[in-house]
Amino acid sequence: MPVAIEINDLRKTYKGALVPALDGLSLSVKKNQIVGLLGPNGAGKTTSINVLCGLVLPDTGTAAIHGKDCIRSTFFIKKILGVVPQQIALFSNLTAWENFYYIGRLYGIKDNKIKERSGYLLERLGLEKHADKRVGRYSGGMKRRANIIASLLHQPEVVILDEPTAGVDVQSRAMILDFLQEYRQQDKTILYTSHLLEEAEQLCDEVVIIDEGKFIVSGSPKTLIEETPECRRLEDVFLHYTGHSVRD
Amino acid sequence: MRKIIATVIKEWILLRRDPGGLMLLLIMPAILIIVMAMVQDAPFKDYQQLKFELLLADNDNGALSKEIKDGLRNSKNFILIDSIDNQPLTEYHLKSLLHNGTYKVGIVIPKGATAEIVNSANAVANNLSEKLGLGGKLPTRDPRKGIDIALYFDPVSKPTFRTSIKFALDKFITYASSKTLVERITKLSKLSGEEAAEEPNEDMSKLFRGIGIREAELNPRDANMSHINSVQHNVPAWAIFGMFFIIIPIAGHIIREREEGSALRIMLIPGAQKLVSVGKISFYTLVCTAQFIVMFAIGYWAMPLIGLQSIYLGKDPLVLLPVALAIGFAATSYGYFVGTVFKTTNQALSFGAISIVILSAMGGIWVPVELLSPAMQKVSLLSPLHWALDAVHQVILRDKSYREVFPDLAALWLFGFVLWCLSIFRNTARQQSI
Repeated sequence: MPVAIEINDLRKTYKGALVPALDGLSLSVKKNQIVGLLGPNGAGKTTSINVLCGLVLPDTGTAAIHGKDCIRSTFFIKKILGVVPQQIALFSNLTAWENFYYIGRLYGIKDNKIKERSGYLLERLGLEKHADKRVGRYSGGMKRRANIIASLLHQPEVVILDEPTAGVDVQSRAMILDFLQEYRQQDKTILYTSHLLEEAEQLCDEVVIIDEGKFIVSGSPKTLIEETPECRRLEDVFLHYTGHSVRD
Repeated sequence: MRKIIATVIKEWILLRRDPGGLMLLLIMPAILIIVMAMVQDAPFKDYQQLKFELLLADNDNGALSKEIKDGLRNSKNFILIDSIDNQPLTEYHLKSLLHNGTYKVGIVIPKGATAEIVNSANAVANNLSEKLGLGGKLPTRDPRKGIDIALYFDPVSKPTFRTSIKFALDKFITYASSKTLVERITKLSKLSGEEAAEEPNEDMSKLFRGIGIREAELNPRDANMSHINSVQHNVPAWAIFGMFFIIIPIAGHIIREREEGSALRIMLIPGAQKLVSVGKISFYTLVCTAQFIVMFAIGYWAMPLIGLQSIYLGKDPLVLLPVALAIGFAATSYGYFVGTVFKTTNQALSFGAISIVILSAMGGIWVPVELLSPAMQKVSLLSPLHWALDAVHQVILRDKSYREVFPDLAALWLFGFVLWCLSIFRNTARQQSI
């Protein structure tokens, strides 16, 4: 299966930090898969995503999406990449429609296409009745769903989601996970981070566990559970590889 | 272009939904220019335009005091008060009224002042008579010491006010002395048996006029408008101050977008960051220009309604449009810079507000630069608000053309452009994270 995301020997130490955020991380994500990037706090998940988005320059190593270097080809990468940050990256004083029109226009999408795509996504994620409401007045779950829509307006080939279901209710979470499964069916690749390992077990074709900036293990949740001694759930696998000590 | 227009539309929607920001941009400066123009109207008026109540205690009751009182009564600048409740004003009463702050200036003409003037005139006349061989002599004595006209001022009176009163009074004394001298010479001639000696029957003021002073207008337009007045200074000055205060909403807005994450969204869109920045700068530059137009419209139409002069917009008011755009761009870029450099709203707003107050004080917004000390006049050249005010004054006071105000506009554009570039550089260098 062709590779969508390829990370090779990434190293990054932030200014003033005593330990590296990434310490020779290598991993790959196949196309048309939902892959969970898992790790405890400080494992290097966010830094890896920042490098893939072109927001952070690594000290050494390479990162590529669809064969294009994430550092040299940021324009191309941003075109094919949809990032759903954990933070609600929307204008809270604009309505959902106004947000999507503005973001769509910045992506260079024609108005009729913006209307069509955001209309579909609003309906699919249960926000069609609230499209004229200011985002700042949305509930937490609604904001998360609107945040996802804004990241998918340009129909990216690869989507990176940073804890997309953090702090949402069960209904919103179910809707988001269903939608991600459906989106993957359109030949898209999804890289997803979460601390909810049960959710990752249900959703992901494959998970990659990293810790202290290094690759630890990867495979389908089922295989990992089977191959790791005394493990019945993905959470057991996770604790097996990353230990029980609390991270700061 | 579509992305820039989209940003302009988005900024317009956001501004429309921010009544506080709108108020800060339009209503507050409007109130400011009206209040400041009214408050500073009197200080800006030359003393020729104002009438002061002037107390006079006349202990002399002679020709000199009559001459001074007539001169003061005929002057357009003074309302002479020499009696209160039909009682002649005494020196004691005059001092107590000044001390209470009821009046600003008082004159005490000492007893024997006329006699002293006559004595001096006699001495001069005798001297002349001797030199001309007329033969006659008028009685003289040694001058008495301490016969001076005393001027009392309210302690809060400004030095310029004191000087102008002294100058006016000196003029009356000189006139009275000269008149007395002519009278004494005439009398001396009579004593000498000169045939031509007759009482001078011509108006002495005409005789003494000789050469006068006339203030001529540099500009062939309404003579009343040729001086800087409260409206001509305050409308542009506080309009510029209000325009630069746009840094408060801009900086707050930029920091809020960074905090709420929408700035991150822009960073994730290919090629959007610089175009969004162009859109933001363009929008707020237009807002500043609109602010300028509104403020000048108030100066033009509303000022006469509150008893002030209407602002004169120069020979070619359209020159004010590029001036407004340049000021708007400089102010907007400064706001953009402050919003980019500072991490928190508190830091940015405090710095922004204080820096504008300092730059405006330096730049002649509060007090015209001409009234500042020579050192401060040099310092004022560093303030963009001074370049802005100077550009507007060139147009509305000196009728300058676009070409002539270009150096000021170039400085404003350059200032804005440098800050904008620094902001973009700072934004790019700032570590962003999803």
